[in-house]
Amino acid sequence: MNAFFLFVLITLSLLILVYLYRVIQGPTVFDRVLGLNGMSTKAIILVVVMGTVFDRVDMFVDISTGYALLNLVGAFAVAKFLEQRGGL
Amino acid sequence: MDILAVVLIVIGLFFLTVGAIGMLRLPDVFTRSHAVSLTDSLGAFCLLMGLALYQGVGINMLKILVVLALLFLLNPVIAHATIRAAYRVGVKPKAEEHP
Amino acid sequence: MKATYLTQFIMNACSLFAVWLVLSGRYDLPHVMIGGIVACGVAWLNTRLQCSSVHHFSLGRLLIYAPWLLGRIVASSLHITKVILSPSLPIAPKMIHYQMHLKPELAIVLLGNSITLTPGTITVEVEGDHLLVHALDEASCEDLTSGRMERRMAGVFKEEASP
Repeated sequence: MNAFFLFVLITLSLLILVYLYRVIQGPTVFDRVLGLNGMSTKAIILVVVMGTVFDRVDMFVDISTGYALLNLVGAFAVAKFLEQRGGL
Repeated sequence: MDILAVVLIVIGLFFLTVGAIGMLRLPDVFTRSHAVSLTDSLGAFCLLMGLALYQGVGINMLKILVVLALLFLLNPVIAHATIRAAYRVGVKPKAEEHP
Repeated sequence: MKATYLTQFIMNACSLFAVWLVLSGRYDLPHVMIGGIVACGVAWLNTRLQCSSVHHFSLGRLLIYAPWLLGRIVASSLHITKVILSPSLPIAPKMIHYQMHLKPELAIVLLGNSITLTPGTITVEVEGDHLLVHALDEASCEDLTSGRMERRMAGVFKEEASP
């Protein structure tokens, strides 16, 4: 079972690399923000999978909850800033 | 139960991969946001549901379900904020207007 | 007015306390007591910020709405998957101006959230009762333009949506 979860972890990391390509390449700044949003979703799932591997889900779930809330605040800040300034 | 969990996790990984492919292939911001929402809704739902089933009934399952509910409530809000900023700044979607 | 404030306060405090119980995971007396005090304090600070349309809302009907929304999410996810994986990429993006008939603010928030959560449609702009929705193609926005999603949402809030 551990090998399977390791496979899941590696696949998620590769998917994060795909999103990183979009963040670096993206034509507009909103593509980059969208890519970062997708990356953070993957990171939240990754933390929960890691908790399953280490058998400490109760602790890792708290970390991923905090990560989700921080992601919300950060995305709001960036979106509000770009909206008021009118692009970058 | 474990077999059902593994099947759900593999389905979730499939949808996450499709979302990543869509992120690469689709042409502009507005269409790419659909790929992100595909990943966020069904992919995250299947994967976290599988992990919750693997944990079995108990406090850990409830905690994973709390993360899932949080993702379902917050991710559309983030996507909407980003897309609204793009629309207001003046990124024009390649789309036909429809009343 | 006093009674609605009190019921809102109790509802807020109970939901916050439930979240505390799930996330703390310890059930001895000091932890539970701290959780109760913190939940009451946060509810006391936050109750006056809420919109007034909460009392139309029923949790049981939301539990009927959620599985239907999940079914729609699965169906449109399969559709979007087919679109993305097909080699010719058959997309026809369009902007839809949609006039709502829902009144409560919470209903509008939940409807916009559901639209964005469903793959293939995303809420771009909300102005009063006017929604601007971006859809990936014809089939994915059919649920919204036929008014089915809004009728379901009106059912949650015990209101008639005139077509």
